[in-house]
Amino acid sequence: MLDTAQPVRRTPGRDTARPARRRRRPRSGPYLLILPALVVIGVLLIWPVVQISRMSFEKVGVRQLRGEPAENVGLANYRQILGDGFFWTTFRHTVLFAVVAVAATLLVGTLVGLLINRLGRRMSAFVAGGVLIAWATPPITAAIIFSWLFGTTGGLVNWFLDLLPNALVGSGWASYNWFATPLPTYTVLTICVVWMSFPFVAVSVLAGLRTVPRELYEAARVDGSNAWHGFWRITFPLLRPIFGVLLALSVIWDFRVFTQLFVMSGLANRDAFNLSLYGYSEAFGSLNARYGLGSAIAVVLTLIVLIVTAMYARMVIRQEGAA
Amino acid sequence: MRFTKAAATAAVLTVAVAGCGGNGKKDDSAGGKDPAKIVVWQMGDGSPEQTKFLDGVKAEFQQKHPKTDVEVQYIPWPQATQKFQTAIAGGSGPDVTEVGNTDVQSWIEQGAFADISDKLKGWAEGKDLNKGALANDQADGKTYAAPWYGGVRAVWYHKDWFQSLGLQPPTSWAGLVEAAKKIQDKKGVPGIAAPSDWTNGILSFVWANGGDVAAKQGGKWTGTLDQPQAKEAVEFYAGLVNKDKVAPDKYVGKNELQGPQQDFALGKVGMYMDGSWALPQLEKINAKDSKNWGVFPIPGKDGGLAPVFSGGSDLAVWKDSKYKDVAFDYLTTLDSKKNAQAFASTLKFLPQFTDVLQSATYKNDPIMGPFAQAAASGVKFTPTSKGWADYEGAKKVLPNAVKAIMQGKSPDDELKKADEQAGSLLNQ
Repeated sequence: MLDTAQPVRRTPGRDTARPARRRRRPRSGPYLLILPALVVIGVLLIWPVVQISRMSFEKVGVRQLRGEPAENVGLANYRQILGDGFFWTTFRHTVLFAVVAVAATLLVGTLVGLLINRLGRRMSAFVAGGVLIAWATPPITAAIIFSWLFGTTGGLVNWFLDLLPNALVGSGWASYNWFATPLPTYTVLTICVVWMSFPFVAVSVLAGLRTVPRELYEAARVDGSNAWHGFWRITFPLLRPIFGVLLALSVIWDFRVFTQLFVMSGLANRDAFNLSLYGYSEAFGSLNARYGLGSAIAVVLTLIVLIVTAMYARMVIRQEGAA
Repeated sequence: MRFTKAAATAAVLTVAVAGCGGNGKKDDSAGGKDPAKIVVWQMGDGSPEQTKFLDGVKAEFQQKHPKTDVEVQYIPWPQATQKFQTAIAGGSGPDVTEVGNTDVQSWIEQGAFADISDKLKGWAEGKDLNKGALANDQADGKTYAAPWYGGVRAVWYHKDWFQSLGLQPPTSWAGLVEAAKKIQDKKGVPGIAAPSDWTNGILSFVWANGGDVAAKQGGKWTGTLDQPQAKEAVEFYAGLVNKDKVAPDKYVGKNELQGPQQDFALGKVGMYMDGSWALPQLEKINAKDSKNWGVFPIPGKDGGLAPVFSGGSDLAVWKDSKYKDVAFDYLTTLDSKKNAQAFASTLKFLPQFTDVLQSATYKNDPIMGPFAQAAASGVKFTPTSKGWADYEGAKKVLPNAVKAIMQGKSPDDELKKADEQAGSLLNQ
């Protein structure tokens, strides 16, 4: 340490006074610069989280919002939801959906990223542009479009499946109800969510691919490797940090899917609820708002996502320690 | 220097953000005198007809209160709940508001409306208000709202199809199934639409069979769907899909607007059940067929008419209003026999005055006639418990039970579960 510090000491005289002056002046500048951002985050993010955590231990309705003191019910809200068999149904739906949707999103996104990387300049710009439109579509718009596509009257998907030979896809598609039972509902939901979220993965993977030196692939090809090996031996290890971030983000996003399911199957199909919809129906579903119970469900959902993310973060830190 | 500037900006921002919270309340001027303005909430998107009608009401109101301006604010139905909740919480409500009649009990309970029992006694036309509808606006012997317009559901059918198939409008459940079957066989489209997310409509069948969703005994609500009459009715309705197979399963999990309405207008389903208010929407979908559409009341099991639920709107004076007397004057102007009937007609609804309903105007109307007939035969309301909003809205108990039965679950189990829910939700 001393060895490296010494050359600094020996530099010309105008620098000698600097360290001293720096220590005297409090470095408040940077903090002031991030203060506006902190205030915004504090007001819009941290304060609501604090409120929700507090409300999850209380009985809160509209009268309480009006100023009547809220009754503290301790863990009653949590006991009610964890003791409700229905909670575990929605929990299972949430987790299964997240697993399938995250896997599909990463797979499709990576494949499209690789494809765009291979294409010529004009074609890759075209595909990337098209893909980004899907990403830019607001969830509610996408949800409405997908419920039209899979609708029973004039739905494009049913019309098309009905045209296909019966030997291939079976019959009776013309009036098939995609939203009557959970499995088809979640199939449509998965397609819709993957359609919306794979572009982000594709673009991120593409950005990563552009940083990988071409010589590596050339060398591998000389050694007789094919595309499959090239991906798993070169691309994936180099892009591992990117995939890690994408995985974490996808998990967070897909755990909280609400809009699409709300539009497609809504409150009338409780058998297809996920955690977000369950929380919404308790808190806002009727005029007798139960914000406390809804908050408790939201807290549970947040904790699940936090645990998953924390597990992942631990994994990353360990890997980096090992490397 | 740069940091100082940034700090100043940050400080300004902080103040701006913090300052967003507290706007002072309106000034409390003039106690009993005419205020400069009252605020009225109306549901819907403010169609030209609605606006024109309300301009007329305002002119009439200002003959009595020339100094008072009336500001009408339109609130889309889907946002009404949230708007009400915010207004109750923030104390920033209107003076007079329209309110969906199924929601009245919950809002009374949450303290949104002023008690207008005494004012109502001084309103001459108020004595002819439909008693059943008025009961829905009362709690603990006090009245908090006045019925304004209402509508009932009936069965829409294709008159030309019935003619060519030699069918008469059915008057019993068996007849309904028979007609549906014939349409299905001859026309190649589903006979009738039986959506599962349709609490108030399904209840018509339950009521028609002498059953009910819940009964209040000794101040306590008990679910009664597992009783034989109610169960038979629910089984009949669900059976349209899974037993008689005259209704397609594509409406399972949906409401009457998510398919049935459109399919009926386009001639893709034989019959569907909806209110008179559906006519404007049906015409929007397929105007050229409208002359072939007819209506008959929902039949009882062995003839007669099914009691129907009357959906509609009531009017209330907001509890936080500072000008309750003036507000009530506006309410009675809006809800006078003349104005209520005029407005109900533009919306294809019915006014809530018994004597008006029985007048010749409605008897002779081909579309509105059957609806008025159904309304006159007996209007029923859902349980007057604030928990009904949970039963119907948040939990959708009956729709989910009916859906499960349509998909082959045991009616006994599902209805027993529904009754357990009724017990816990209606007695909170």
